[in-house]
Amino acid sequence: MPIETSASVSDILIGFIQFMIIIILAPLLTGIMRKIKAITQKRIGSSIFQTYFDILKLMKKNEVISQEVSWIFRFSPWIIFSSTLVVAFFIPIFVVYSPFGLGGDIILVIGLFGLSRFFLMLAGLDVSSAFGGIGVSREMMISSLIEPALFLALFTVAVTYGSTNVEIIMSHTAESSILISASLLFSLFGFFIIVMAETGKIPFDNPATHLELTMVHEAMVLEFSGKSLALIELSQSIKQLLLMSLLINFFIPWGLSTSFSISEMIVGLLVFLLKMVSLGILIAYIETKVAKWRLFRIPDLIFLSLASGLMGIIFLFI
Amino acid sequence: MMYNNILIFLSGTLLIATIVLIIKREFSEWVQAYKYQTIVLSIITGVIGYITNNWEIYLAAIITFSLKAVIVPKILIKVTEKINYDFKIETKPYISTRMSLVVSTILVALSYFLTQQIHLGEDVIATSFLPVSISLLLIGLLVMIGRKIALNQIVGLLILENGLFLFALSLTHGISLIIEIGIFIDILVGIVISSILIHRIGYTFDNIDDIHQKPASIEYTEEDD
Repeated sequence: MPIETSASVSDILIGFIQFMIIIILAPLLTGIMRKIKAITQKRIGSSIFQTYFDILKLMKKNEVISQEVSWIFRFSPWIIFSSTLVVAFFIPIFVVYSPFGLGGDIILVIGLFGLSRFFLMLAGLDVSSAFGGIGVSREMMISSLIEPALFLALFTVAVTYGSTNVEIIMSHTAESSILISASLLFSLFGFFIIVMAETGKIPFDNPATHLELTMVHEAMVLEFSGKSLALIELSQSIKQLLLMSLLINFFIPWGLSTSFSISEMIVGLLVFLLKMVSLGILIAYIETKVAKWRLFRIPDLIFLSLASGLMGIIFLFI
Repeated sequence: MMYNNILIFLSGTLLIATIVLIIKREFSEWVQAYKYQTIVLSIITGVIGYITNNWEIYLAAIITFSLKAVIVPKILIKVTEKINYDFKIETKPYISTRMSLVVSTILVALSYFLTQQIHLGEDVIATSFLPVSISLLLIGLLVMIGRKIALNQIVGLLILENGLFLFALSLTHGISLIIEIGIFIDILVGIVISSILIHRIGYTFDNIDDIHQKPASIEYTEEDD
């Protein structure tokens, strides 16, 4: 597929609509997953719009900032939020068009996620509370193990479709009828584990508790309040939606629209929402089914993902 | 050649089920994972039966499913119910789970490399399942070497046995049904005998523990846990 260098007004409009849909739907997805998790645990659970109410309430509140912190603590929520928003411009969700598609590829996307995580860790260390230190050291261990596994999984995809550009890969996947190579099965398995790890799901992290033994992500954001906390929560939701849509559009892309006709795009959006909710149900079900793993066994799971990626590369060359 | 893609997919699924089986370290967990692996194996057997159009292989698939995915796990769980939990969980294996994952990936690569040397011709089933079966054999041996607790060494034996079954099936496209049934009965009797043996071992060790452990002398070393 040739890349068009000039963008018309409708292209820009569609790209912007796609971006807005990502921002608006991200808290809803978090709410739906919490609701499903509550239902599978036989609780009633809060409304699926609760995440919006939380964010709006946090926006109105005053911030409390410790006297000991430096400028890093005040700046990092904005850096985290803005880098996540830039990623949202890269990843197409229901039509194969990414507004920043020419500016970078999947490696830049991983780098931007890495930037936001780096500043989250810096802010956690900056407050110099004991919990922040615990959370940051755990997050460092997990993220340094995740990254090679993530690169292996995405390397297999990139070699199979012949490009690292998100838009080109997705235009190829949208045309393929079924997973075209068995190595994609391995990278799907590896990528699924990584999505669970990156979004802090239960075998790795339990975001619903404030127990010092289980906290990873929560320990880092413990000192944030008010607007900063709202920004971090929102960017966490957006990151979850983006990673899940990468999984969907790389490995189960059927229904993804390749042209700008209105009917195809509406079908693409509906199919995307359906797939996203089903994936959310699957993840919430797994979260209910399994227990939180001990911290020093988490590398076992990530090595499973790594081994799966390696086997994918073996299958690529036979 | 139209089946080629489906067969490679099935072999990939079997490999994923096998590596998931390796990282389990608790007895009931790996019995569960073994069940899933065997279900994948019986689906593969059914597909091979469909391709070769041989009713004996369908029967073998049904026996595989009912015997190895239903009866054997039930027997194993039932027999080991009363054994002390410390004898069921692998805390300090000779080869750690992470290392055995990496080594088993190398073994998979090795078996694919070795079977590329053999000229198998246009045989789709053999080319897609022979390397997988050899890698199952090697991984089973690795797991048997690596585990310290006798109860958990059976997992290696069972992986190895699944590999042998697939090996015979992929090369011969269905050996005679009488031989297959004989092998299945052998497995069943082997599992029953070994589980009785395990039960006796566990019972004896539990008793020894009861005699030697007094509450005051129990020392918990938490360094590895």
